[in-house]
Amino acid sequence: MNSDQDVRMKTLLQQALPRVEGQPEPEHDLWPAVLRKMDARPAPPPLVDWALVAGLVAFVGFFPAAIPVLLYYL
Amino acid sequence: MNTHPYIRAYLAGAFVPTLVLPLLLTVFIVVRIVLKVPVPIELAMIFPMAVVPSLFGLWNMIYLATRDRFHQPIGLHGAVLPLLLAPAGATLASCLGVLVLGSHGATWFQACEIPYTLIVPGFLAALAGYYLVWKYIVGFLNRMQGIA
Repeated sequence: MNSDQDVRMKTLLQQALPRVEGQPEPEHDLWPAVLRKMDARPAPPPLVDWALVAGLVAFVGFFPAAIPVLLYYL
Repeated sequence: MNTHPYIRAYLAGAFVPTLVLPLLLTVFIVVRIVLKVPVPIELAMIFPMAVVPSLFGLWNMIYLATRDRFHQPIGLHGAVLPLLLAPAGATLASCLGVLVLGSHGATWFQACEIPYTLIVPGFLAALAGYYLVWKYIVGFLNRMQGIA
């Protein structure tokens, strides 16, 4: 595609797409925020969930005969 | 990818029991063949193999269908499932002879005797297990499939 075709394509695209009224660009660069969100680690599980895990492990540890019954339901 | 969300919900829900089933089968086979414990494996496997995976999948489909109306957390939604599964599983197990109710406790698989005093803690443990499985595993699978 030569430069004349580039210019023609640009003109056609500008004619085809509606003009954005008002503020055409955001006030600040949004890309750093996107990167921060992508790099952010998920929140750690709440303490209640750890307590439930501990309770479950304790129950299974104290009553290992219940393990097959629990697996029966999973 | 917004097509067939209910099929994806079913598959995400059925994932965990489908994964646990071979483990359960291995445990039962080891107990029966290696340890020579006379466990009625063919009867014991009916409920975990035929009912639990399907019910997990259907329960996740129900979650997908109702979450916009009730806004229930997926962990709590999953924790309700033992309320249905426990009586259904116990009834089927009792009919098949896998569960025998005695005077002091229930005997599962003709090998594991569970005293009645353990029923409430065991049920609470099941609730906790289901809550965690649904919150962290099924929820993760739902997010991965774009239906969370």
